[in-house]
Amino acid sequence: MLHACVYATILLGFFGIIFKENLVMKIIAMDVMSTGVIALFVLVAARHGVYTPIVADEAKGALADPVPQAVILTAIVIGFSIQALMLVGVMKLARDNPTLETREIEKGYRP
Amino acid sequence: MTPWTIFWIALPFLVGFSIYLVPQGDRLLALGVTLVSALYAASLFGLGAPIEFHLLDSFGVTLVADPLSAYFVLTNALVTAAVFLYCWNTNKTAFFYIQAIILHGSINAAFIAADFISLYVALEVIGIAAFLLIAYPRRNPSLWVALRYLFVSNTAMLFYLVGAVLVYQSQQSFAFTGLGGAPLEAKVLILGGLLTKGGIFVSGLWLPLTHAEAESPVSALLSGVVVKAGAFPIVRLALMVEALDPVVRWFGVAAALLGVTYALLETDAKRVLACSTLSQLGWVLAAPTGAGFYALAHGLVKAALFLTVGNLPSRDLTVLRQYPIYTSLWLPLTLASLSISGFPGFVGFGAKMLTLKQALPWQTIALNVAATGTAILYAKFIFLPHQRAEKSADGAGIKPGLGMALTLLIGALLLANGVYLGAYTGPNVLKVLAIIGIGWLLYAWVIRPLTLRLPRVLENFDHLIGFMSLVLVMLLGRGWLWLF
Repeated sequence: MLHACVYATILLGFFGIIFKENLVMKIIAMDVMSTGVIALFVLVAARHGVYTPIVADEAKGALADPVPQAVILTAIVIGFSIQALMLVGVMKLARDNPTLETREIEKGYRP
Repeated sequence: MTPWTIFWIALPFLVGFSIYLVPQGDRLLALGVTLVSALYAASLFGLGAPIEFHLLDSFGVTLVADPLSAYFVLTNALVTAAVFLYCWNTNKTAFFYIQAIILHGSINAAFIAADFISLYVALEVIGIAAFLLIAYPRRNPSLWVALRYLFVSNTAMLFYLVGAVLVYQSQQSFAFTGLGGAPLEAKVLILGGLLTKGGIFVSGLWLPLTHAEAESPVSALLSGVVVKAGAFPIVRLALMVEALDPVVRWFGVAAALLGVTYALLETDAKRVLACSTLSQLGWVLAAPTGAGFYALAHGLVKAALFLTVGNLPSRDLTVLRQYPIYTSLWLPLTLASLSISGFPGFVGFGAKMLTLKQALPWQTIALNVAATGTAILYAKFIFLPHQRAEKSADGAGIKPGLGMALTLLIGALLLANGVYLGAYTGPNVLKVLAIIGIGWLLYAWVIRPLTLRLPRVLENFDHLIGFMSLVLVMLLGRGWLWLF
């Protein structure tokens, strides 16, 4: 069930990238997609258990796998820096293209 | 070897960030880094056998350096060095050199990464650095092209990440070696992401506009090495996982033909070169065992061509045909074009022969057609009218920066020829000459008078994203075919 929701988030984000006209909406759709991917990593980490793996005298229960969580932390940082960079670019484009519709921008800048 | 590798991989980043502190030494520092990379590639060739590193423990970073990576590292070092020499006397700011050197370092990292996460990080850093370089002129059109590039590459990398976690789920490790036992979906998603990033077949249609609209030195970097950072992992995986080999070969041939078709119908010099990159990447993938040598041959030629074409008076080939260009520019253009067409005496000949030798029987015909196409499209450059520059003429002769860069690249083209001398047999030479001869005749009779133009609608932003899903479906379809 959770898997289905996560994959649905990824797909919805992807369709958003294709079907949204506005550049800012496309970037938000990409964010939705990357949220889905992050959730998938968390879900894979929790497949055997949900307790934080900390050295202790007695384990509380099945432990979560720390590797995917550690890895996705890097991807989250990369993802948001890319999004920040894109939004800066969009801010600059918006001065000349106030509607930010990709089709219009594309037409205007075709050599 | 381990300390040397870590030093080499960390150096570009250290130097890149130190340039912020000492912006006066930007060019020298940057050039020094490329020299270290060239030395590292030489030491890899010297070793011969692959070496493997596991940094930290079993979940840490895995690196594999072998002669295949050595070819790619050498390409990276030579192309980046040529670009720095070219920019020596231009007024590029320290920021340009910082981004270029960080790009150089992250491409190096992609060439020795052997686990999916190190590769992911390297590819994303490449994406960001390339974005900043394309957007360097800060004009709106270049900003849009850069934004489009970053968007496509980031979406592709999201698919790749899903594939990576699926590999982890089934293998408990992110190492490349685990891909063989991973489920089909994981293979499809990872390969799909890399094909888009590497600009191969229809998923690579973002490439012509991006490479044509960037400034010449940046185009040289993009076409020469950046796309190879996406193609290299595909080659590495195809050599590791037998099941991937036929798919990769199939995509290689398809890309070689698609790129040539696009390039034949173009009249804009930079777009011809960019479309030809699309086709040449196909050649790199068509025979994974000969990929390193071909990548070297292509990287050097393409960098030389982009740098020279950037100095021509016009980008439009129909205009260039009417007004003669200077012989000093025509000569390097012709030498590089001959090499990429596979003319004996240049590295391109050996590379083409090696790829054709290692191609499977069903690939040979298609690749020969692609080779003829390549000969036709470079005839567009070879048969441009040219004249000697008059001494007094303004801007006659080539700029010193371009001169140095071309000496390095074309010198390397001739020297690297020695790698595969076995190619020089009678039948091989005759065959190549026949291919080039047929190509030139076809150019004179068919292509030159032709006025057909391909519509560029397929390169629209929405379609680029759409093609990504199409490639995923295609890969999945082929995957089902193997199962039944």
